[in-house]
Amino acid sequence: MTGDIVLAAKLIGAGLAMIGTIGAGIGIGMVVNGAVQGMARNPDAIGNLQTNMILGIAFAEAVAIYCLVIALIILFVF
Amino acid sequence: MEQKTKIEWHWGKYRWIVLGLIILSVIASRIFAPIRPEIQLPAESLTAHPLISLPVIGDIYLTNTLVAMMLVDLFVVGIALVVRSAVRRDNLVPTGAYGAIEALVETIYELTESTTGAKWAKKIFPYFFSITLVVLIANWMELIPGVDSIGLLVPGPEGNPIQQFGPINALVKGETDAGSYALVPFVRTLSTDLNFTLALAMFSVVMTQVYGVQSQGMKYFTKFWNTKTLFSKPAFGVMDWVVGLLELVSEFAKIISFTFRLFGNIFAGSVLLFVIGALVPVFAQSAFLGLELFTGAIQAFVFGMLTMVFMAQAVQGHDFEDEEN
Repeated sequence: MTGDIVLAAKLIGAGLAMIGTIGAGIGIGMVVNGAVQGMARNPDAIGNLQTNMILGIAFAEAVAIYCLVIALIILFVF
Repeated sequence: MEQKTKIEWHWGKYRWIVLGLIILSVIASRIFAPIRPEIQLPAESLTAHPLISLPVIGDIYLTNTLVAMMLVDLFVVGIALVVRSAVRRDNLVPTGAYGAIEALVETIYELTESTTGAKWAKKIFPYFFSITLVVLIANWMELIPGVDSIGLLVPGPEGNPIQQFGPINALVKGETDAGSYALVPFVRTLSTDLNFTLALAMFSVVMTQVYGVQSQGMKYFTKFWNTKTLFSKPAFGVMDWVVGLLELVSEFAKIISFTFRLFGNIFAGSVLLFVIGALVPVFAQSAFLGLELFTGAIQAFVFGMLTMVFMAQAVQGHDFEDEEN
């Protein structure tokens, strides 16, 4: 009985940890919004904007990956 | 410009091979159902005894990620030899693998020059390109069939029984009392080892500090201990000092963020490939292999690019902005 509670708690914990990816989704959307608007205003700067957009997306996505790492640690290490 | 003749669309000639493979995989997954994968966070050691026992540091084992790192190094040395022989031949028009590498080097060098300025681009470019190339090859190794799936079968408390096919033993689904085995792969994707990503992150951040000192002398450390305006304008001075301390904390945050960004992306990708391969054994893993290709390339590029951007910020200092070019 106790073992099952630990497994259940692990699974619930991993699920709760992934709620943090909402922030990453919103953040990436905002970054791409700004980038696409800039590209629409100034098509000459598309190359420049694309590089900085990829950089911004990687930063915002990293936070979602931290949540995923915590979830994986909860599931497979404890 | 309109085309007078439409280009005809042909089926690819490999469509029969793909169809044959799909039918083969349907039959194979009916006969041998895929087993639930066992996922392990730390890298597993292939031998029972350590390779070397150093006095202070401890034991060094031959782990499967160490094997992967040796393969990555061999591949990078192979690329270097290809480039060397092509440069010796000295054709006017570069072709083949050397042409691809030259295009890549040119693109990345232009990017470096536009961010760091021409003077420091020569020194910062090797870090960007080396980190990108090594991490790219390390990430793309998980797409090769055989990595993460061929290995030693180790008896353990929970696992799957073995069935023999000629010279090969394979894990199959089911419960028997013959013993349960788990798979320890020979080669595991290098970026799923926290040691590798941590070492690369520390290397990158420490070299950033070295370049900062090289360009600005010891005044570089006033970025962290900023007492310039502490007595002239007290309110702003204290704020500047606290901001300086936060910069120091942010350097450590950079190490952690580099480590976990690469590790999390690639480890999650490999877990995804295992689980999808086990759940839907027919054709579904191919879409995720494409996703992993893209993700591996992006993560390699982002690691290198962030290193380059932080180094560019370190050599330029606070006071003046990017040079116009």
